[in-house]
Amino acid sequence: MKKTGCEHEEVVLRAMHTGEWTDALRRHAAQCPDCSQALELAEALRQQARRADRMCSPPDPYWILQRARRQARELTLRRVGRLLAAMRILAAVYAVAVAAWLLRGYAALQYREVASALPGTSSGYALLGAAVAAAFAIAGLWPILRQDTRRAEPGRIRPAHAAHQPPGA
Amino acid sequence: MEDAPTMAAWVTPGREQTAAGEEGFRQLYEATSRPLWGYLHHATGRPHVADDLLQETYCKFLLHPIPKMDEAQTRSYLFRIATNLLHNRSRSRDDAACEEPADSGMETDEAARLDVREAMRQLKPRERQLLWLAYVEGMSHAEIAAVTGLGAMSIRILLYRARQKASRILRPQRTEP
Repeated sequence: MKKTGCEHEEVVLRAMHTGEWTDALRRHAAQCPDCSQALELAEALRQQARRADRMCSPPDPYWILQRARRQARELTLRRVGRLLAAMRILAAVYAVAVAAWLLRGYAALQYREVASALPGTSSGYALLGAAVAAAFAIAGLWPILRQDTRRAEPGRIRPAHAAHQPPGA
Repeated sequence: MEDAPTMAAWVTPGREQTAAGEEGFRQLYEATSRPLWGYLHHATGRPHVADDLLQETYCKFLLHPIPKMDEAQTRSYLFRIATNLLHNRSRSRDDAACEEPADSGMETDEAARLDVREAMRQLKPRERQLLWLAYVEGMSHAEIAAVTGLGAMSIRILLYRARQKASRILRPQRTEP
């Protein structure tokens, strides 16, 4: 018996599987210890496969489709979530950069000269404008921060299996 | 059996396309689920694990379809996904203990059945997979290489060793000097 088995073993097994035997192949399988051992084991395993087939009761493909759809949705949500997270990071970097730029500009400003040139009402309008801008920024941030807080609360997370119970379960 | 693109239509919004995709999937499922379950059951030894892995295999297949596959390629692709899942599972937990399920079928040769079970229990998971793919599914060495991710040249040697090991366990008096 060779250390790597008989070179015809693959052909013999294929013939066993398809039933397409030639006389020469049948003679070889009967004489070759490797091939006869392979055939013996293959027959034992095929018997086991037939027994397993009797036990097999695969689930309805409908449930697999449902599960795959749910996974596809989750995958899409994860992708969109990653995109949103990247956009938020970019927005934060942009805000910090703008703030730094404004502070630098403010530091360089000759405030007294500007203040003396502006009438009293203009200063008031400038303050009002800044307040409105701040209010808008807070109004925009509020829902996002609230959403994050909700997500962080463990009691609010709905279990995944609860959302996909089969009808009548 | 329909092509993978048609089956992948289940994700598309059009109702007709989804129905066609579902029908294609049902046909594929009918044709492949039983052999695939047998393979998973043989590799894990646990029917409920085989059930779970079977579902996961088809989910992965539906989520990542490869277009332009014929019937044999689709079957091979499914077995490859299942093998990868088995591999991931054996890496993530100790799967050495192979529980045997209660069998309610009528047995004519109980001793032989137990012999085969015992032999398989003593083999490594990879050896069980190779033997099943070659001897039960009738796959060629190239197909087994594609399914398992092993080198095509090494399949013959690995299969030979697995067979020798199984035969030594099954028939010790024949192989031992």
